Amino acid sequence: MPEGFHYVPPTDPAPAVVFENVSKSFGKQCVLDSVSLVVPKGAIMVMLGPSGTGKSVLLRCLVGLIKPDAGHIYVFGEDLTALDESRSADRNKLFALRRKFGMLFQDGALFDDMSVGDNVAFPMVQHTRLGTAEIRRQVAENLKRVGLPGVENKMVSELSGGMRKRVAFARAIALRPEIVLCDEPSSGLDPVMSATLDELIQELHRELGMTFIVISHDTAEARKISTHIGLLYKGKLQAFDTAERVLNSSHSHVKQFFERNTQGPIKVL
Amino acid sequence: MRFDRFVVQAVRAQFRGIPPMDEFLRHAIDAGVGSLALLTLLTIFAGMNLSVQAYGTFARFGGQEMLGLFCGVGGIRELYPVMAAIVCGARIGATLAASLANMQISEQVEALEVMGIDPMRRLIAPRLWAVTLMLPLLCAYADAVGICASYFSAVHQMGINEGVFIAQVKEIVTLPDLFAGVVKGVIFGWLVALVSCYHGYRAAKRDGAEGVGVATNRAIVHGAVLCIVLNMFLSALMYA
Repeated sequence: MPEGFHYVPPTDPAPAVVFENVSKSFGKQCVLDSVSLVVPKGAIMVMLGPSGTGKSVLLRCLVGLIKPDAGHIYVFGEDLTALDESRSADRNKLFALRRKFGMLFQDGALFDDMSVGDNVAFPMVQHTRLGTAEIRRQVAENLKRVGLPGVENKMVSELSGGMRKRVAFARAIALRPEIVLCDEPSSGLDPVMSATLDELIQELHRELGMTFIVISHDTAEARKISTHIGLLYKGKLQAFDTAERVLNSSHSHVKQFFERNTQGPIKVL
Repeated sequence: MRFDRFVVQAVRAQFRGIPPMDEFLRHAIDAGVGSLALLTLLTIFAGMNLSVQAYGTFARFGGQEMLGLFCGVGGIRELYPVMAAIVCGARIGATLAASLANMQISEQVEALEVMGIDPMRRLIAPRLWAVTLMLPLLCAYADAVGICASYFSAVHQMGINEGVFIAQVKEIVTLPDLFAGVVKGVIFGWLVALVSCYHGYRAAKRDGAEGVGVATNRAIVHGAVLCIVLNMFLSALMYA
């Protein structure tokens, strides 16, 4: 348990996500070591940590792409880790559960054989019965929201890195999911673009009440958007609490990370 | 993912309802129409070569009039289906493996999974159907082009009587022979697609660009070896 930090919301009967002693190793390397945390519904939780410390694995465990070795992960009360993907019924359950998520991948993960419009429309085409005209309208609206109006007919290969990320974000929120996962949303973006994406997260959080789980090592981003902050180092959750408490704490790992110090408990590998 | 597990999941996905038609059509057109030029060129030369070689051999004992028999049996029963499977299989298999491996390393497959879409249904099933249905058609097409090329070479190059050649082909090549070629095409097509999809699908992000090359290479080699080995057993079963 992290020293002085472990957020257990006293009045939240149905948290969005609960990690309960989740551990994962690849061979001898322990990537997640008994991680426990609770993300309340409607939070913007930013998980910070140095590169290669298990943040992305945490995210992948959350959507069932990686199965933890131990522990439980609950999404809106449903135990994700109890589902066995090799069983057809559980597999269908898992896919249904995943529809509650939208995910922004680090490099966008856009389908490169489709146009931008088709990429954003894809989740709607697959999971809704909306007509073509309505889908087209919503695609245009989502692209406008991310600051890319009128790019529907462009191919993914014609886009810059920042544009790809924004298109990927438009796709991630296309179905208005309950939880949006963002894997390093600001990596590879210029500061202005990064700030634009941050504002977009805040806007969607405000307007639609979505829960955001953001993996990042950008402390400025964490300060700006988070309602909750976690710090992961060497697979262990060093800190996790409301943003205010974390930012005002004197926790050695947190202080070093936010003050960008080379000296401290976090060692450069 | 282990091959046996992949096969079970792929077969389950293939026969669970109609595959996504957009993906199916895209891959069927690529596999079928996209292979025509290459297959036509190679089958013309193979068919003509069959005539030339057979003529040289049979002429030694005055049996050159049996050219039609040889081209019918050797070409339609064996050469053209295997050639279509290997040539088109290599082309199609390389495309399948490379595209899937690229999707894996750029996290597109994971993106599908996170969207709650089964990649086996979305990606593997339409590819399996497309190649399984297109390869027998390509085999039949190769039979037609090959025998025409053999005829052209035999009649116009070697001076074999046109009527004799046609009569011998008609005599030796029966409807079951043509059907056997199509059956081989179905089996080869399914196997080539399965092996190629497997190698493409098992690529991982950590493999990087090299992973795409490795997957493509393995798809071509394993597909070709499988077709040749299996052809021997199928021929033994069908004609022995």
